[in-house]
Amino acid sequence: MRRALPLLVSFATLASAGGLHLKDLTKDPTTTWPTYNGDYSGKRYSTLDQINTSNVGSLALAWAFRAHSVPIKSTPLLVDGILYFTVPDNVWAVDARSGRMIWHYHYVSDGGDHIGNRGVGMYGDWLYFETPDCHLVSLNAKDGSVRWKVQLADVKLGYFSTMSPLIIGDHVIVGVSGDVTDIPGFLDARDPETGKLQWRWYTEPKPGEPGSETWPAHSDAITHGGGMTWMTGTYDPKLNLLYWGIGNPNPVLAGAGRPGDNLFTCSIVALNPDTGKLVWYFQPSPHDDHDWDAVQTPIVFDGEFQGKPRHLIAQASRNGYFFLLDRETGKHLLTKPFIETNWALGIDSRGEPIRNPKKDPQPDGALVSPGSDGATNWLAPSYSPQTGLFYVSSRRLWSIFYLTAEGKAEGWGGRDQNLWAESQIRAIDYKTGAIRWSHDIGKGEGRTGILTTAGGVLFSGDNSDNLLALDAATGKTLWHVNTGAGSDNSPMTYLLDGRQYVLYATGDMIFTFALPAKN
Amino acid sequence: MVSSKMKSLSVCLRFVALIFSVLFLHAAESPDPAAVERGRKQFVSSCGFCHGDDATGNRAPDLVRSALVNHDVGGDQLGPVIRAGRPDKGMPGFPFTDAQIADVAAFLHARTREALMSARVPRDYPLAKLLTGNAEAGKAFFNGAGGCAQCHSPAGDLKGISHKYTPLMLQHNMLSPRGPAPTVTVTLPSGDAVKGTLEHLDEFEVALRDADGWYRSWSRDKVKDIEVNDPLAAHRELMPKLTDADVHNIFAYLETL
Repeated sequence: MRRALPLLVSFATLASAGGLHLKDLTKDPTTTWPTYNGDYSGKRYSTLDQINTSNVGSLALAWAFRAHSVPIKSTPLLVDGILYFTVPDNVWAVDARSGRMIWHYHYVSDGGDHIGNRGVGMYGDWLYFETPDCHLVSLNAKDGSVRWKVQLADVKLGYFSTMSPLIIGDHVIVGVSGDVTDIPGFLDARDPETGKLQWRWYTEPKPGEPGSETWPAHSDAITHGGGMTWMTGTYDPKLNLLYWGIGNPNPVLAGAGRPGDNLFTCSIVALNPDTGKLVWYFQPSPHDDHDWDAVQTPIVFDGEFQGKPRHLIAQASRNGYFFLLDRETGKHLLTKPFIETNWALGIDSRGEPIRNPKKDPQPDGALVSPGSDGATNWLAPSYSPQTGLFYVSSRRLWSIFYLTAEGKAEGWGGRDQNLWAESQIRAIDYKTGAIRWSHDIGKGEGRTGILTTAGGVLFSGDNSDNLLALDAATGKTLWHVNTGAGSDNSPMTYLLDGRQYVLYATGDMIFTFALPAKN
Repeated sequence: MVSSKMKSLSVCLRFVALIFSVLFLHAAESPDPAAVERGRKQFVSSCGFCHGDDATGNRAPDLVRSALVNHDVGGDQLGPVIRAGRPDKGMPGFPFTDAQIADVAAFLHARTREALMSARVPRDYPLAKLLTGNAEAGKAFFNGAGGCAQCHSPAGDLKGISHKYTPLMLQHNMLSPRGPAPTVTVTLPSGDAVKGTLEHLDEFEVALRDADGWYRSWSRDKVKDIEVNDPLAAHRELMPKLTDADVHNIFAYLETL
């Protein structure tokens, strides 16, 4: 945060009445939930304990809001009693006390994939919103009016965007999405006042740069290698390091044209947020050809490992493995599967799984666990300092992978067929990788993220439309309610007027729950 | 920006409009197969030597991934480049007619469309690609370690199975069939047992449809016992134990039936 100090002064005047102060970004999320994950760490752990294991059974509906939209996949921000949330092309500001709409903004996009939107970022009085046609729009948080918009990438090439921008100092960090087309991924830092590019870091190195040796020479593979920056990363203000999970390489299932590890796809990278320079990397899936991006939130926390206090970062990755690293150096500490996988021959000296080429997609089909939808996916994980457990919404998912490409592959070059899936919420002991408890949430693929609190409660959803409150220490169910639809969302919580609310979105509805008000 | 609740309906309608516009665009972009074929021949004879016959690049760039092609509409971007060439990069100009340019554009757009549609396995996926196993070994597995013969019979339910499904569907159904819904017996605190077809089961509720066709449900904490009989359970239990050789051998065996 070297660069944040002078900005704090300017914010004292800039955001005197409402708006988001930069110092709110480094506090525990209680009366403010200022970023996608609540804070920079990605823990999705709230220090609020008004709702706790002894009283969560009394939770009651506080208010509901209907967006009349496609399913809400964003996590709302909460700043000064106002919630800000999104679906593709749309932003809402809603009163966090009552659920009444304050304003709604609609963006008319020029095509682009409308698969989802994870929410807005905020800085001072301004919101930052990414669009399906891969633009960044800045809105006035007071009324939703547009301040400016800039293009991030060319939608005609297959770029789109879904993520919630992350504010670090005077940088708006934005990522891009893509799927079928063979385009290079990147991460941008943009000027919060103008949207002007400050730096761009491509997820594939330029030919000749470190990492380029993991791509074939004399080929266009490295310049069309994918590696999208789908999900909001995390940040350590003391180390001034930005952590980001990088997407899978392209062509997606057909890897023959890109022999090598294909850095920095399917990697966790640490960047200097002021310069965009790479500091370290770790690659959960070297040479992926199963669509197992490594974009799952890399959670920052401190804890003991093998008797020593460490600065840690951990990811439960889409490929089925849990990874624990030292976040100062990227040094690998632990690798353990959190579901049964059958695609790796072992773990190498770097702590990275050794891919079994026989489990690559094959013309006659290869039976693989997990399937391309992953052992987990965009669903937010959580870490509770109270229990010392890392929580993930996991899937046992079997699928058969076909390689259909003949000649030079373009796009996916194959597909897998899901065979069956069942899902769980799992608590991982980060020190050993052991599954401390596993709570079944039903057949099919879980789609809901996790929130933990100092009240000892874990909130998430099951595959039967229920919102669950579990005991975070044991996984035992404490409370549930059928919300009428599945949730593609991650719950959040906030304190307002001394009352703790738990917010949960299902379909196009937002529900908030609280303990019964004392009249 | 709007500030009225009434606008929520218009938001809803916009999504409907968006879905229709996407469908319409897809229909509008479907290329004329005859133009694509004329364009392919033209491309192979004039362009394939450098760009590859399938346009995926050779000594000259891959055009499936080309920004110019992706921005082109009916040859409006490609035409000038084809006619003028790119002398600085060694590409000569070609004196194509408007019709030839439109055809080549149709071919290139068809190629990019193929890439966009590449995340799938065609329904008519050829048997020859799937038939890599050993039918005798599959038969042995079927009757032995796989335990398939406990429920299935080549002379009974599987008779003529290879003619009932496409090869791809047969492989999928073999691994993860759609089958009869599970049945369930719910034992009530009184000791009475209610049987039926399972309608729903989660951590909290169980529901069935009884022999009379009535739907009945209970909170799980209000019943004594729930016994589910899922006829497909054996398929799921087998899956983690299957090797790829098992999969291909059983498939080869089923293809003989």
